[in-house]
Amino acid sequence: MARNKFDIDEKLESPFSMAHLKRSFTYIRRHRLKMFFALMLSGMASVAGLFGPKIMQWTLDDAVPNKDISMLALLALLYICILAISILFTTVRSHIMARVSQDIIYDIREDLFAHLQKLPFSYYDSRPAGKILVRVINYVNSVADMLSNGIINSILEVINIIFIVVFMFSTNATLSLVIVAGLPIFVLFIVVIKPKQRRAWQQQSNKNSNYNAYLAESIDGVHVSQLFVRQQINIGIFARLAAACRAAWMKAIIISNSVWVSVELLTQIVFTVMYIAGVYWMGGAIVSFGVILAMGQYVSRFWQPILNLANIYNMFINNIAYLERIFETMDEPVTVDNMPGAIELPPVSGQVEFRGVSFGYEPGVPVLENISFTVEAGESIALVGPTGAGKTTVVNLLSRFYNLTGGEILLDGKYDISRVTLHSLRSQMGIMMQDSFIFSGTVMDNIRYGRLDATEEEIIAAAKAVHAHDFIIEMEKGYHTELNERGSRLSAGQKQLISFARTMLANPRILILDEATSSIDTKTERLLQQGIRVLLEGRTSFIIAHRLSTIKNCNRIFYIGDKGILESGSHTQLMNKKGLYYRLYTAQASEMEAVVH
Amino acid sequence: MLIAGLAISVVVSCMLLINPYMTSLLIDNVIVGKNTEFLVPILAAMMIVQVLRMGMRFSMHMLLETSSQHMMYNLRCSLFKTLQNQEGSFFSRNRTGDLMTRMTGDLEFCRHFVCFISHQITDAVVMFVSTLIFFLLIDWQLTLALVAVTPLLLFITQKYSNKVRPHFILMRERLSEMNTAAQENIAGNRVVKAFAREAYEREKFKECNRNFRDANLGINRLWLKFYPFIEALANFMTLITVFVGGLFIIRGSITAGELAIFTSLTWALAAPMRNLGVLINDIQRFFTSANKVIEIYYSRPLIVDRSDAVLHDRVKGHIEFRNVSFSFNKVPILKDISFKVEPGQTLAIIGPTGSGKTMIINLLARLYDADRGEILLDGCNVKLWKLQQLRSAIGTATQEVFLFSDSVKGNIAFGNQALTEQEVHDFARRAAADEFIQKMPEGYETIIGERGVGLSGGQRQRIALARAMAVQPAILVLDDTTSALDMETEKLIQHQIDNLPFKCTKIIIAQRISSVKNADEIIVLEQGIITERGTHEQLLKRNGYYRQTYELQNDISVDEKAVFNCGTQ
Repeated sequence: MARNKFDIDEKLESPFSMAHLKRSFTYIRRHRLKMFFALMLSGMASVAGLFGPKIMQWTLDDAVPNKDISMLALLALLYICILAISILFTTVRSHIMARVSQDIIYDIREDLFAHLQKLPFSYYDSRPAGKILVRVINYVNSVADMLSNGIINSILEVINIIFIVVFMFSTNATLSLVIVAGLPIFVLFIVVIKPKQRRAWQQQSNKNSNYNAYLAESIDGVHVSQLFVRQQINIGIFARLAAACRAAWMKAIIISNSVWVSVELLTQIVFTVMYIAGVYWMGGAIVSFGVILAMGQYVSRFWQPILNLANIYNMFINNIAYLERIFETMDEPVTVDNMPGAIELPPVSGQVEFRGVSFGYEPGVPVLENISFTVEAGESIALVGPTGAGKTTVVNLLSRFYNLTGGEILLDGKYDISRVTLHSLRSQMGIMMQDSFIFSGTVMDNIRYGRLDATEEEIIAAAKAVHAHDFIIEMEKGYHTELNERGSRLSAGQKQLISFARTMLANPRILILDEATSSIDTKTERLLQQGIRVLLEGRTSFIIAHRLSTIKNCNRIFYIGDKGILESGSHTQLMNKKGLYYRLYTAQASEMEAVVH
Repeated sequence: MLIAGLAISVVVSCMLLINPYMTSLLIDNVIVGKNTEFLVPILAAMMIVQVLRMGMRFSMHMLLETSSQHMMYNLRCSLFKTLQNQEGSFFSRNRTGDLMTRMTGDLEFCRHFVCFISHQITDAVVMFVSTLIFFLLIDWQLTLALVAVTPLLLFITQKYSNKVRPHFILMRERLSEMNTAAQENIAGNRVVKAFAREAYEREKFKECNRNFRDANLGINRLWLKFYPFIEALANFMTLITVFVGGLFIIRGSITAGELAIFTSLTWALAAPMRNLGVLINDIQRFFTSANKVIEIYYSRPLIVDRSDAVLHDRVKGHIEFRNVSFSFNKVPILKDISFKVEPGQTLAIIGPTGSGKTMIINLLARLYDADRGEILLDGCNVKLWKLQQLRSAIGTATQEVFLFSDSVKGNIAFGNQALTEQEVHDFARRAAADEFIQKMPEGYETIIGERGVGLSGGQRQRIALARAMAVQPAILVLDDTTSALDMETEKLIQHQIDNLPFKCTKIIIAQRISSVKNADEIIVLEQGIITERGTHEQLLKRNGYYRQTYELQNDISVDEKAVFNCGTQ
């Protein structure tokens, strides 16, 4: 059951810690050589850059006063050379770093997506799709710059500061202390506002996520909104969410902006104090006026990199709100996964055995309790019973969409489904679910999803078998007609037929049909049943259907209810038993009789 | 607000020059001139200037942030409004992932432009122009020599600008593709797992991811081809100042002092030039995104209230289709459909998969407009009704149930917010949904996932039915609403529908004879044509689709009767 909707902020389970930071380094580590090289290039470019002013000085101090035109030309040439070197280094650095930052985004996104593929249904069922999407797309885009250029630049700035501090202290230690004294104040300021700033950016990412969730849902459900004339109300809700985004942003940005303001003001204060101290000492001739001049310049030389660091820090605090969400998703436990030492399931004959199986979606709320049965290879089994009794759960357990809370399920009497790889297990099953999902792409692509190496002939044969061929070729481009996601141009029955063809194409050993034909008209349904009868030959099948006419011919019928199988046997056996199935069936039959008369 | 912000930006840029000037005063008067009494006043003045400047800069940033957020808020709302009113064909043209990109990433670039780039541009222009004027006043010859590189620089950036545009469009496309791929994967996660296609999906996404990365790197590669030239030309200004200026001094046309002013301010000309390239990137990216946003902004739905649409007093529920035809992508869906339903009567529609049954409802609710013929509600063409009133009059339990991520209660009251708790329960009971809802962990407050994930098909259908009834519409449409329900539940629901607390015309679309048999009129729709019509008894007499379907559904009950009889004998 869902625990989150568009207007509920997601709680953060794990606060940002050093572990997260360390983890970011796993993405950076593989680029460390490149990044080191880029760092070197930047350093060299700055050193080369330092010669520029020197040349200017020579020009104006020596060449011009001496009217030495040849020296002037020489210096100009030298300047061009240095410029060329500096530009070359910077270009190469940008080239490397662009690659690095793009690779980091690529890696994070790839890992995140790969992890999402492993997450169970319950993960997707319990939150709006838009909230997952925003992490994969928008959040990942945001963090790349911080993890690449952000890191390089902060290292450069720190080196810069060290150099300046050395120069500064070698010029005048006392005045330097005055200049550096501003730093603890700044650090204190940062420490004080940090929790506020963190919370503000987390809030911003939450509101952003809510906005995304509602947006995605509104686009997908626009048809229903229009039918129920909900546009005005929806616009109101949307405006509220957009306003929350705006408010959260403004709150966060005002704090972030105060950081650089404080640096600039501190710089000025330090400058003032330094001058006053310097000038008063000068009266006692402790410092010379040349020293004050130099120190005056060091003030801005020292504080400029601090300002840059403060800006990088702002970026960090902002992006960490995204990064922690990304890692949180990556840490989402994979409840259903290959066990260590899981083997590839060899092709099975299709015998299925449930041994004392128990299961519940929520702890303490069992849906099935201690059920056992054996289905022989090639048998067809119908599952009937009241809605919500757990029919779908039985087939979901067989496909191992959930882990059992007790008991085991065996295939061919020897393969425990929890000890084989998920891929090898599910590729031998053909599951047709209640919802038929259509991907954007051609009809052909949609059917081919069942078996990727199927030829066109095989696809058409599958479509013919389920009687989908006729309506497909009537579309303007036949099998090559483009369907949009969810196949909005198809009727529900047509979508079911395409899903059916997809399942049949997969050529499964065990076939599961969960309300597979509920939207298909009776005539097509009958034709389809005849068509697949050949295909079903020798395959084990589980069929869930409410129209009992469709299941009457199954080998056995299980009546599911009260957390277990209450009755099982063939149609005739169960009818003679005059139990629950009999009652269900006669209810339908009397309904039919009412139709007759 | 934006103008105010940019105006402050101009002042702030100019104020940048004050403190360096004060520093020179400080040095000349206090340090060199040893006039200590000036120390404190000058420092105080500098402090005040700095505080003022910071205050202004801060407020400028906040003004720009506020106005850009304001703009984004307004854009978001008006785009959302447009989206809410678009018809089906718009959504089949535009994928969800692409619309999401427009509403998030593209809008973000627009915001970034207003908040940041606009101020950068103003800054650059002000700085360049003011310095240029200042220079011209000092020495026009050196200034001309200095700005001689500008046309070349502009030419190069212009060229870059043209070349980079398609790259940005490509990158934007790649982003949208990636968004779509991820969005579809999340929405279809059940199918992905059922077919064990995780590896395939990963490959598919990897390709999108790679394409997006490569598009970004492509922009960067192009940029790095131009960057050395732009950077070099900007630096040439310094070169020219010093060396050409040096020559001028040697020739005696300017003084050393004048040159000193030039050298100390050349950066004010060079910096905007250097930034030009970066700005071009941002501007191009902005244009690419803005185009996408504008596309939606100006896309107007075709189905809107006509100017001569009137508001009716009340809806009686009389429906008439007169020779209605409709095609989708040139494939005819409905051909020459005519029927009439009196208020309070029940019309049933039955027919093979894909015969156009649902389309009849879509045309009635004007989700699409008919190509030919007329659809009348209470004797008035539906096109002359206000959309709001028309659609409010029709309560539809849709075939494919879309539920919203909201509580069960919220979903049932979706079309009728005024519903009391008691009424919500009542309609749930009528839809045979009360029992299972009560069993859910938090009853009516339980949040159900988007599209109703986590619920069975039958449960979803019943919530959708309650949602449709809760509107208490003049026309209640049940589109295959009970297909996933067992017969017993269906019977229960049918009884409830026959005894609704409000009067309404009913349209029932179904596959089961049992669902349609009691209707006042049943029409059989085959390939978009009405092939049979009449009551249950009349249709049974004909040997058509209805009779065949009846027999197919009935043969089970016939031989069941045999079993049944065996059992009782």
